[in-house]
Amino acid sequence: MSSQAHYREAHPLVFVITHWINLICMIMLAFSGFYIHYPFFDGFMGVARGMHFVAMFVILINLVFRIIAAFFVKTAVDLGSREVDTDIKNWLPQAKNRHQFFETVKYYLFMRKEGVISAKYGSLQKIAYLATIPLTFIQAYTGFALYGPTADWGFFFGGTEWVGGEMNMRIIHYFIMWVFIVFTMIHAYLANVYNFAPSKIIFLWKETEH
Amino acid sequence: MAQEAHGAIYDLLAVRGVSRRDFLKYCSYVAAMLGLSEAAAPQIAAAVEAGARGKLKPALWLNGGSCSGCTESMAQVDSPDVATVVLELLSVNYFETIMAAAGDHAEKAMDDTIEAGGYLLIYEGAVMTGEDGNTLLINGKKGKDILQKAAEKADAILAVGACAVDGGWVYAHPNPAGGIGVQSYLDTVKVATPVVNLPCCPTSPEWIVAMVVQWLLVAEDDPATFLAKTELKTRTYKDSVTGNNVTLNYPAYIVGSTIHDNCPRRGHFENGEFVTEFGSEEEAKGYCLYKMGCKGPQTYTQCPITRWNRSVSWCVNSGAPCIGCGSLNWVDNNAPFFKRLSSMQLGGGVGNVQPGTVGAIVGGVAAAGLLAHGLGMKAAGRIGDGPPMETAKAYDRKKMAKKGGDK
Repeated sequence: MSSQAHYREAHPLVFVITHWINLICMIMLAFSGFYIHYPFFDGFMGVARGMHFVAMFVILINLVFRIIAAFFVKTAVDLGSREVDTDIKNWLPQAKNRHQFFETVKYYLFMRKEGVISAKYGSLQKIAYLATIPLTFIQAYTGFALYGPTADWGFFFGGTEWVGGEMNMRIIHYFIMWVFIVFTMIHAYLANVYNFAPSKIIFLWKETEH
Repeated sequence: MAQEAHGAIYDLLAVRGVSRRDFLKYCSYVAAMLGLSEAAAPQIAAAVEAGARGKLKPALWLNGGSCSGCTESMAQVDSPDVATVVLELLSVNYFETIMAAAGDHAEKAMDDTIEAGGYLLIYEGAVMTGEDGNTLLINGKKGKDILQKAAEKADAILAVGACAVDGGWVYAHPNPAGGIGVQSYLDTVKVATPVVNLPCCPTSPEWIVAMVVQWLLVAEDDPATFLAKTELKTRTYKDSVTGNNVTLNYPAYIVGSTIHDNCPRRGHFENGEFVTEFGSEEEAKGYCLYKMGCKGPQTYTQCPITRWNRSVSWCVNSGAPCIGCGSLNWVDNNAPFFKRLSSMQLGGGVGNVQPGTVGAIVGGVAAAGLLAHGLGMKAAGRIGDGPPMETAKAYDRKKMAKKGGDK
């Protein structure tokens, strides 16, 4: 696991940048979203809404770019390895992840001592990283259903009627933000639980040898 | 309202102290509300004049499960105005709240009107379907049956007020009386008479006037074209009582934009100037009521434009946050009225909970869980270099052991 070295091949510069964009946009979206939900100080509503809309478009473009780039950029096949392969292969579940889901859960529940064999990412990681894609799109959908210029487009308005009105859509949008917050908490915790080498590579692009 | 109107329109107006100029101004105002250009004002004036000269158009005003608030909204005009005059062009043959007749006479007036057909039906209040309709009895008859009978022979129906639209606050959880909207009920009994819905609690008298004028305009040629000639917007919802999807027709101009978009306090919203407490300095300054639970951002009516009481004022103008009475299922969707988001009605003794509380609990539990897990990881000695790694997957080891045993 983290006893491995962390090389730049694991996170090429382009993904270090997309990760930064994701982080900054998410912080901006959550902060401005909380402010729009309930303005906890005065004089910021216009800015908060502007910030929310800009960050929303940036993160969506970034996500689409990240998905497309996964088919062209090569990343390390395993932690502590300089051997690379197309990123999408390392992102989707692989042979190495087979039969390891429950073992991973058992490991984190302290029901086994040894770390589990995994590819670049473990089973739980892959599920989480893949789930954030549809979740981001669902969040975007609920957001557009509330966003003045798009709210009355049939595609979005149909969803608003389906959930029983804008108030319910607003509450769904609010709860999905909490899912993102909890995801980010778990993500930051698990990535850095052993040491901060993973953060050094993803934020500073600094390699660590073990 | 139920009285007979005599003479031409200008005599009527003169008697009520309304000048011709006022009348024409009002006609252009109605034109705007119907989504027509101001050039349509003379046409509207002509239709109203024709109405005053000719035979009065018959109309019935029925009350379902209602508080008569919409009647009040219309009747509480402090001085006679053009709206009253226009509404008097209708011969309202039955109007429980304010008709002079009573008992058999009143019922006969209704029966005769229904038999003759070709009238405008104005329905106020929810259709009470609970206990097989016994939750509302009028003269020993079920309210829902009276509506069905009257609806079948009407030219058109105006469902006035939130209750007639989708059940309003009668429809709110738990709704033991089974109150539903007019369109929803007519769908279940398969009556296809066109219904135009006028939202809000109460509805605005000006909107009723606009639709009556619209009806007078089209009734001249062919009442069947009422819906086709009215610019409409539709909304669909799932009725929790009947289980059906119901599509409602609204006049487009009335539900075209949010209250928030036309709000006179909108500038304060953008500037981030909010009222946090009633009776505060901010309230005196007329700041935005967003933090006081204003539902203007998700309520699609043009209250800020029409306003109430002859355009004198309306809720937000007079200092109250919008409670969203123009939206569908408005009580459940908007209560508590002074909170930003509605509470979620969780069963199992939990009661009504604010989404913010749920979010904070979820976040807090996650943080506490991770902290506890981190301590566990430390205790297990995994911090630093991580755990010792397995050499083969547990699955493969098991399989190998099995194979070995079989040999």
